[in-house]
Amino acid sequence: MQAGTIVPAADSMIVVNSEQTEWSRGKTVSDVIKEKNYIFPLLIVRINGKLIPRDEYDSSVVPDEATVDIIHLMSGG
Amino acid sequence: MTEIEMITITIDGRSIPVKRDSTILEAALENNIFIPALCHSELVEPYAACRLCIVEVDDGRRAKLVTSCNYPVRKPVTVYTSSDKVLRNRTITLEMMLSRWPNVQIIKDLAKFVRIEKPRYKHPAVDLNPNACILCGLCMRICEQGIWENIINFTNRGAVRAVRMPYDSDQPHCIGCGACAEICPTGAITMVDDPNQPFDADMVRRAGMRITEEMIKFDEEQCDMRGVGTAHLVEIMDAYDLLPVMNYRYGKHADTPKISSDVLRTFFTKGKPDGCWLGCTMACAKAVEDFQLSTGPYKGEKVLVDGPEYETLGGSANMGIFDPRFVIEYNFYCDTYGLDTISFATGVSFVMECYEAGVLDKEKTGGLEIPFGARDAALELLHQIGRGEGFGLIAGKGIRYMKKYFVENFGADPDFVFDIGMEAKGMEYSEYVTKESLAQQGGYGIALKGAQHDEAWLIFMDMVNKQIPTFADKAEALHYFPMWRTWFGLCGLCKLPWNDVEPADNAETDEPAKVPGHVQGYCEFFEGVTGKPQTMDSLISMSEKVYNFQRVFNLKMGFGKREHDAIPYRSAGPVTVTEYESRQDRYDAQLSEEVGIDPSGMSSEEKVTAMRKYREAQYEQLLDAVYKRRGWTNDGVPTLDKLQELGIDFPDVIELVKKHGG
Repeated sequence: MQAGTIVPAADSMIVVNSEQTEWSRGKTVSDVIKEKNYIFPLLIVRINGKLIPRDEYDSSVVPDEATVDIIHLMSGG
Repeated sequence: MTEIEMITITIDGRSIPVKRDSTILEAALENNIFIPALCHSELVEPYAACRLCIVEVDDGRRAKLVTSCNYPVRKPVTVYTSSDKVLRNRTITLEMMLSRWPNVQIIKDLAKFVRIEKPRYKHPAVDLNPNACILCGLCMRICEQGIWENIINFTNRGAVRAVRMPYDSDQPHCIGCGACAEICPTGAITMVDDPNQPFDADMVRRAGMRITEEMIKFDEEQCDMRGVGTAHLVEIMDAYDLLPVMNYRYGKHADTPKISSDVLRTFFTKGKPDGCWLGCTMACAKAVEDFQLSTGPYKGEKVLVDGPEYETLGGSANMGIFDPRFVIEYNFYCDTYGLDTISFATGVSFVMECYEAGVLDKEKTGGLEIPFGARDAALELLHQIGRGEGFGLIAGKGIRYMKKYFVENFGADPDFVFDIGMEAKGMEYSEYVTKESLAQQGGYGIALKGAQHDEAWLIFMDMVNKQIPTFADKAEALHYFPMWRTWFGLCGLCKLPWNDVEPADNAETDEPAKVPGHVQGYCEFFEGVTGKPQTMDSLISMSEKVYNFQRVFNLKMGFGKREHDAIPYRSAGPVTVTEYESRQDRYDAQLSEEVGIDPSGMSSEEKVTAMRKYREAQYEQLLDAVYKRRGWTNDGVPTLDKLQELGIDFPDVIELVKKHGG
């Protein structure tokens, strides 16, 4: 994705962990994770129920009106 | 993340895209192209010792023989794995190996692969042992690189070269993890020490080795438990508004980076994992050596400090102190005085809020000026607790005692101190903000031992993932996870290897939060020790008996009913206007969307009251759902039916439970 090619679409939304979230064309899984500040390392991502492998977060584009589940596992004492 | 550069190479006529800097051997293995190798494992760095993995590489200018295990792909090349030149060299190497170790199966198999049945000559140092060491070095490399120990290594040279422990003696430093034996391709190393005579020691070891492999492969990119231990959670909890700041009023602070894991890493002095349990390869316990103390009876002395862990760091944020040296010092003195860092930190956080609210003053504290952030005063109070002197005599008895004492002796408003005194069943809260997770409020409040998260840590499932939206969902989680984690207690096991490293295929399982692959490992562990096969359900039912029996014990001791599962309101919602206003957007939206009240036109005081009414009712509904799921009465008492079902319906238990309406 080159800079300047993201087309904002104000009316378009996706659902990320049950929350309405703004969508824009070309938005990747990595973009959503960054936007949500999900810095926890043990994540599982599904777009419309389909598992996205970790090494495809940068290249997986989230379609408009998608349901994105970013499941945080547990860790710590 | 940077984009991965792919380079296309040709192996035996096949075009294969390869990640830059991966090796030819890795590329071949990933594409099911066989290249023989004896000293290679994905768990250790390439070594290029056996020379069997040689291939011919043509970069367009010239062709040469290289060892494929350590040849990084940086440009398009043509690779031949079985050219005449390759086969000639590989065959000579294998013939020499076969002459020295003629009965080792893996050598025989590979020799057969290159069509050698018998070597043409006899090796002067021939070893007829079928389990002979072939000097591949995998064992010493996994010990050093994988386990971060250095117990075994090569000794001598030439024909007498061998793998040994130093001075040919048993090393007390060996943690007995078994990784060297597991990785050895010939069976030259065997574990002989089975002190507890398990039913099937190999089954136990295989289950353990799976965790060890995951630690070696994934830990650095997952939780970095071996690098910094649970300290990695400091910055994560801050990012999710879950790090307790100033007696759980807030969930993050601008100064958190000062006590983040990156800072602590510079203090941790151990160059290797300092496991609290010999043989554990997660080894998350960390230590700070030569730390010069600034206060107390050992002032000026250099000491070794065991820690700090997340809870100790989170506790410091809770006291509003963001100074790593303070954290290490209070960690040391709590250990030295036999105090729990969590109870101390949460207790002092309460003292600090009481001081700022005017419940306490210098006169009442015996001269201590102790608002949030008062580093020196916190340490002085710690020493007073240790000595059993002054205000330390009151604070050292914990929050439950202090609340009563402040009301009776200092005229404190009971509602206020009971709202902000973070304890349940007399035990101080550990260091997580629970306000936005109803399930976690239950996790703390219903926990049998008091306000601890170690029965169930559900904040991410509930608050972030929104996986358990209904009361029934939350109740199910508050059944499964407390039972599961009780099982660790039954067996005397640490729970960290269960979910602080994740198997590669965990995401593909039905219930990744339960880490089914690891649960299976614990089933095998139990079977390996006892000889009794287990399932996930059978492990849970073991716990359910004990858990219910513990609830009955609580009942006997006066802590086992609904009233004892009550929580301070600070753990369920904003107590003060300041707290509400610090997250006003969030709370206003909740009032509007969840409670059904229009917050516009309401004062902050009115909003606090409305939110409280809603959240307290939610907590009661949660208790209803959890008690029902667990087979308890609405007052939190196990029913006779449940006791019978679990086979713990002993006469004195029935008598006690009946007395309480069970």
